[in-house]
Amino acid sequence: MSVLPSFEHLRPADLHEALDAISFDDPVYAGGTELLLAMRSGLLRPSSLIDIKRIPELDRIGQEDDDVVIGGTVSHAAATADPVVLSAAPVLPKVLAHVGNPRVRAFGTLGGNLCFAEPKSDVATILISLSADVELASKNGRRRLPVEDFIIGPYTTARNEGEILVSILIPPTADPMVYEKFQTMERPTVGVAARLLEDGSLRVVVGAVGGAPEPFDFSSVHEVNSGHIADRVEVIPDLTGSERYKRHVTRVVLGRTLAQLEGLA
Amino acid sequence: MNPVGVVTQVNGREIARSVPARMTLVEFLRDELGLTGTKVSCELQVCGVCTVLVDRKPVSSCAFLAVDIDGREVTTIEGVASDGKLHPIQQAFIDHFALQCGFCTPGFVMMAVALLEEVPQPTPEQVVSYLEGNICRCTGYRSILEAVLDAADRLERASP
Amino acid sequence: MSVGNSVPSVDARVKTTGEARYALDAAVPGMLFADIVRSTRAHATILDIDPSEALTTPGVSAVITAADLDGLFPRFGHIIADHPILAIDRVRYYGEPVALVLADNRYAAADAADLVRVRYADLPVVIEPEEALAAEAPLLHDEDYSLGDRSFSEAQSARPATNVAHEAMLQWGDVESALEGAHVVVETTTRYPMLYAYAMEPYNAIASYDEGELDVISTAQHPFQVREDLARIFSLPLNGVRVRSPLLGGGYGSKSYTKVEPLAAVGAWISGRPVKVALDVEGAIHTTRADSALIWVRSGFDDKGTIVAREFDITLNTGAYADNGTLVLTKCVHRCFGPYNIPNLRASGRAVYTNTVPSSSYRGFGAPQGNLAGEVNMDQAAERLGIDAAELRRRNLVGPGERHIPGKRAMDADLRADLEMVVKGLGWGGRPTANHGIGFGCSASDAGAFPVSTAQVRLFADGSALVLTGSTEMGQGSRTVLGQIAATELGISVDRIRVKQSDTSLTPYERTTGASRTTTLTGLAVQRACRDALAKLVEMGAEVLDRDVEEVKTAEGDVVAGPDSRASYEEVVQAWFGGRQGEVTGVGIVRRAGELAELPPFWEIGMVGVDVEVDPQTGVVTVHHLVTVGDVGYAINPAMVEGQDLGAATQGLGAALSEELIYDGPQLVNPNMVEYRVPRMGDMPARIDTFIAERGDGVGPFGAKGGGEGSLNPVGGAVASAIARATGRWPTRLPLNSSAVWELLNPPDEA
Repeated sequence: MSVLPSFEHLRPADLHEALDAISFDDPVYAGGTELLLAMRSGLLRPSSLIDIKRIPELDRIGQEDDDVVIGGTVSHAAATADPVVLSAAPVLPKVLAHVGNPRVRAFGTLGGNLCFAEPKSDVATILISLSADVELASKNGRRRLPVEDFIIGPYTTARNEGEILVSILIPPTADPMVYEKFQTMERPTVGVAARLLEDGSLRVVVGAVGGAPEPFDFSSVHEVNSGHIADRVEVIPDLTGSERYKRHVTRVVLGRTLAQLEGLA
Repeated sequence: MNPVGVVTQVNGREIARSVPARMTLVEFLRDELGLTGTKVSCELQVCGVCTVLVDRKPVSSCAFLAVDIDGREVTTIEGVASDGKLHPIQQAFIDHFALQCGFCTPGFVMMAVALLEEVPQPTPEQVVSYLEGNICRCTGYRSILEAVLDAADRLERASP
Repeated sequence: MSVGNSVPSVDARVKTTGEARYALDAAVPGMLFADIVRSTRAHATILDIDPSEALTTPGVSAVITAADLDGLFPRFGHIIADHPILAIDRVRYYGEPVALVLADNRYAAADAADLVRVRYADLPVVIEPEEALAAEAPLLHDEDYSLGDRSFSEAQSARPATNVAHEAMLQWGDVESALEGAHVVVETTTRYPMLYAYAMEPYNAIASYDEGELDVISTAQHPFQVREDLARIFSLPLNGVRVRSPLLGGGYGSKSYTKVEPLAAVGAWISGRPVKVALDVEGAIHTTRADSALIWVRSGFDDKGTIVAREFDITLNTGAYADNGTLVLTKCVHRCFGPYNIPNLRASGRAVYTNTVPSSSYRGFGAPQGNLAGEVNMDQAAERLGIDAAELRRRNLVGPGERHIPGKRAMDADLRADLEMVVKGLGWGGRPTANHGIGFGCSASDAGAFPVSTAQVRLFADGSALVLTGSTEMGQGSRTVLGQIAATELGISVDRIRVKQSDTSLTPYERTTGASRTTTLTGLAVQRACRDALAKLVEMGAEVLDRDVEEVKTAEGDVVAGPDSRASYEEVVQAWFGGRQGEVTGVGIVRRAGELAELPPFWEIGMVGVDVEVDPQTGVVTVHHLVTVGDVGYAINPAMVEGQDLGAATQGLGAALSEELIYDGPQLVNPNMVEYRVPRMGDMPARIDTFIAERGDGVGPFGAKGGGEGSLNPVGGAVASAIARATGRWPTRLPLNSSAVWELLNPPDEA
């Protein structure tokens, strides 16, 4: 058996306390499904964990203005089961229902998934296709930015020191959307989200195969070229295959995604 | 490092302890409480042998801090049978030869408990999808699938 | 009769309730927790080890290095004692134990292990056998360690001054002339991957050293073999070492022989307190893996498809230390060419030391590696000859009672009949559909190992019985099956029997629990022990009933001397001893004599087939149908036979489709269960047929013979050939994961 390195556990009662406690070296801790593994393997040795999962305002799902608001500590399972999420973004529960395994889904959070920015993930890809934003709070106030801009690269986000991801905001949509992934190991090799917008334009987001999800926009379905996307997208070779193979599989999954979307449209 | 107070219920029993923050739930159960029925293997939450229920939801106790069960209810494999009577899932595992070395069995039983609470009459596909994150290295899984499906039937017949 | 029925496993109940006790669950009051400092170099001289900072960690009591083992024999290894308990002056692989940290709790031990400073001077590293065999390669071992165990006489000594750990060769006839005259000669080269058995309970041991006696509870499959290593280390008599193996969380051969027991034992010896060593999976992977293999084969056939000669050349990557790798090679040499009549044969091989994790036994050892080459070669030959692949095998399979290896036991199985079960089960010969392929394969392993087993049966004054055996329960069901054998022999109900196992101080000697031997050899020992107990009971019964011994027999739990002269076992025992006391002890002995004089004790048959579909776009292989045949002579517990066969075949599918330990430079890139992919429930074939063939042709009790490994051995070749038939391209290496299959179909030069 291995053990976790030593750390202090801080459990702020509210967001205000949490924002006081947070520092660059002391990460925010919610589901722990990524963080604790990184700590166990020795990749991270924080002196403290700032446990935010008992802060009530972060663990709720609701509607604000037009957006669905998913709190920063809402688990995949809770989001999957929520009727508001289902009606506003029916594709999302379908994707979340296949993240990790039921244990990861029960306690792992969407917010944590985004903040960890593990490239081989479905969550950021589908949220970018939904044009979702994140809201970040700091002692200086709040700011909102698109998930697309939040995820910068592998394990890298636009979150500044002192900021906590407090919510994910999703504009409701009835647009035809498809998410298709190819997965042979514990995490997806490639995930593709495609969305046909009301004006006939198309947004395709390719994730997991490179360092960060990459969106591609087209003015109409007829302009989409899977081969073109597959040639341009960043591909990182790994145990699931060579760059050549992963590029090829990306093309295949793109083709399958677009064919499904055509069926929906 | 400062120990953290934990007040919890494990298998219905009130427990108050002071634990180091770094202590995982599986260490708490096995080392502190002597509940060694919960096993530990991959320590990366992919094998499922350390599965327990926290507030009736399945969790990999190797990747869950002991401090986080404060105020919550934990059910382990030791809490599944009641009054010496096996749970229908346990009996089905025995009847279907759904175990060999048995090291993965507590995890599979706990997952099956969680599944059948969520979906009382799952299809084979639903069982496979739910148990895909648990490894059994001995059986080849067929008998486990049969046991879980049979347990669902037994539970349905037993419920009024 | 208890035998022949699918009696539920006697330990199933405690395994479903969490009451079952494994070595991992053992704790001894006052014990220290150990953590291991592992080498961060693949090959280096150790300049110095500085424990000073580690020793300042609160709760730490010792940091032990090889320098602290003065007065002990500092190495272990049952064939070649080349394996240092802690690295001596030099490390030979990344992850090798360098120091042992002892502390009051697991956290302090781990924290302190991070603080032990080791300085190294790097030496040249060899990872692949090709590198290790090169003229300028660094020499990994320059001492002669051999111990010369007679039961391993098939092992030939290594070639000095090279990295060849062991060589083995089997030959007869004149291969060259036969191949010259052959109608067709087919050549094949295959690579079998480096594997990790992943017994889910990682290696662990708890040792205490008290009043000159060493007591160890561990995950050892072969506690008696571990006892010998420990006795040598501490210069103790065999009665001064007690090794106990409780229920094992998987074994599959990977827990054969000594692993972490010496670490716990030297910790206890130095600290004077009980010491627990419990590895994590990464540590377990850095303890033992299975041999990867590069195998070349060529076979010659006449125009009717009859084999005229086969020639094999085998290279195994055996890693930094020998462990059981020498025997894996010997077995590979004996198992690669298959159960065919081969008039001219040469099979030669070498196990090569490299700077990688030591390799050892894993289910089928040597057979899966050799079988992939041998059976793919047969399928390619069928294609070249224009003969149906099943027909080619029918023409060459060795018949019952025929001897395919001179000097070895004649074939104790009907292989052609087994083959028909597989090909009929698969619908072989039907119309091929696009992207689908059927593959199957045959193997016969010289199983059972060296036949040495002993057992005791104690029949108590209340009519219940205890069976004592040194054979270990690791999920295969021996506790149940041996109980069934005893119940049948004693004529009492199986629930009146308890089987106690694997305590070298209390249970009688058992050579090993491996090579599929338990039902056959331990079973025979138990059967003989029961008969010995009953013979004694008959003598006692004659006295009690006042009859001549010749008139007395046993029947259904009673001693009977005629229609009106009958007493139950308990009545006889109680009457003979007086009062409600006493017991009868029967002893059963199995050795290489009589019907077990010929080796192997039995041939373990592997006969499997698969129906696969390949997605040509992604390379994903789906196994739709799996067929196994358990040719076990007589199924003492049919459900357990099927469980063994499906489990073995599933591990075979893992090796065929997804499992591989990968070295990138000096270290493994995937020593964890996230990146080392074993089969999951979703990988299960939609249709599974686990057939059992019972022809009473085994040497064991009731005509039984062993199973449990056979259904793994031909899976790799069957999958490879099925994929070849689905795609028209012959794979030459496993695993055939999606990217490997796609690369096979789309080689870069064709792009």
